[in-house]
Amino acid sequence: MIKIKRTVHNNRLLTVVILFYMVLAVISPDKAGQALKGSLYYVKEMLMIMPVILVLTSLITAWVPRKTIENSFGSGSGVKGSILSFLLGSFSAGPIYAAFPVCKTLLEKGAGITNIVIILSTWAVIKVPMLLNEARFLSFRFMIIRWILTTVSIFLMGFIMSRLIKADDIPTGQWEEEQSSGLSINSSCCMGCGLCTKIAPDNFGMASKKAVALQSVCNEAQRIQVLEAIEKCPAKAIRNKAS
Amino acid sequence: MDIFTALFWIVTLVWFFVSIAKDKKKTVNALKMSGGMMKGMAGEILAILFLIGLIMTFVPQDTVRHFMGESNLLISTIIFALIGCITLIPAFVAFPLAGSLLDAGANLVPVVAFLTTLTMVGIVTFPLEKREFGIKFTLLRNSLSFVFALLIALTMGVIL
Repeated sequence: MIKIKRTVHNNRLLTVVILFYMVLAVISPDKAGQALKGSLYYVKEMLMIMPVILVLTSLITAWVPRKTIENSFGSGSGVKGSILSFLLGSFSAGPIYAAFPVCKTLLEKGAGITNIVIILSTWAVIKVPMLLNEARFLSFRFMIIRWILTTVSIFLMGFIMSRLIKADDIPTGQWEEEQSSGLSINSSCCMGCGLCTKIAPDNFGMASKKAVALQSVCNEAQRIQVLEAIEKCPAKAIRNKAS
Repeated sequence: MDIFTALFWIVTLVWFFVSIAKDKKKTVNALKMSGGMMKGMAGEILAILFLIGLIMTFVPQDTVRHFMGESNLLISTIIFALIGCITLIPAFVAFPLAGSLLDAGANLVPVVAFLTTLTMVGIVTFPLEKREFGIKFTLLRNSLSFVFALLIALTMGVIL
C-alpha cells in the first residue's frame, strides 16, 4: 500500500492522465480511443529515438574527458575557453539545475562570466542528444536553423553579461553549511541518476527520485567508493566533509 | 526511420561497441547512470505523450489555428514564451508536444519561443541559480534569455 502511494506520489501527472483516460473510456469510448491512438503515434516515435539518446548520453558521459576540459579553464581562456565551454555544454547530460554546481566549480577555478553563461545556456538548450530528438519530431531543417540562431545568441549573451556582471557580484559562499561533517548531498542539484547508489551502495540510497546519504564513511573500502561517486556524480552534488 | 535518425543509430552503435571493447565497466556504469535518469523521467514522459492525444482530441484544430496562428502572432508568442518560463518539463517531451501543435496548424513563432524559454529561462530554478550565482547574474541571464528567445523565434518565423 505504501509502495503504491509512493508510486502515485512520484508520478502525479501520469496518475491524473490515466484517471482522465479511465473516466473518458466510460463516458465516451470513441474519444478515448481517438486520443489513445493519437498518443500511441508519439509513444512509438519516442521508443524509436529514446534508446539511441540513452546510449549516446552514456557514451558521452563515459568518454568526453570532462576533467581535462574543466582543468584547462582558468587564466588562458579567451576564444579557446569559449569553445571549450560550448563543447562542455553541448556534450552534457541532465537538466539545467545540474549545471549550476558544475559552473560554480569552474568559477572557482577561474573561468570567466562569459564562459559560465555559455556553458549554462548551451547545457540548457542545445545539448547534442536533444538536437537528435528535435530533428526527429520537428525536422532536420528546423533543428539546424534553431541551433545556429541559438548558438549566435548564446555567444552574444555571454559577451553582454561579461560587460555587466563583475566577478564580485557572484557570491562565494559554501552550500550545506548546516551539515557540519560527514556525507551530504545537495538535493536541489541531484538529478536522480542513481549512479552513486551503484558505485557506493553502502553509503547512498534513493528516496523520492533523489539520492540520499545513508551513513558516513566508516572504512577504507567505503572511502574509495565514495570518492569515486563524488568524482563521477554528473551534477557534482556530493560533498564529504571530514569531521 | 529517416536518414538522420538512422545515421545516429549507426554512429552510436559503432561507438558503443568500441566503448565496450575498450572499457566494459566504464560503459556499463555510464549506461546505468543514464538508465537511472531516464527511469526518473519515464513517468513524466509517458504522461505528457498521453496528454498530447487528449489535447489533439479535445482542442479543435481551428482553436489552435486561431490562438497560435497568424492573427494573434505577437500576443501568442509572448504568452507561449511566458508559459515556457514557468514550466519545468524535460526538454525531451517538449519536442513531440511542439510537433503536435505545429501539425495542428499552430504558427512556428510561438512554438519556437516556447521551446527556447522552456529550457533557457527557469523561474522554478531561479532560487537555486540565485544562491549559486547571485541575484544580479540570475536576473540578467534569465531576462536576456527571454529576449533572445523572442528574437530567435521571430527570426525563425522569417526564415522558415
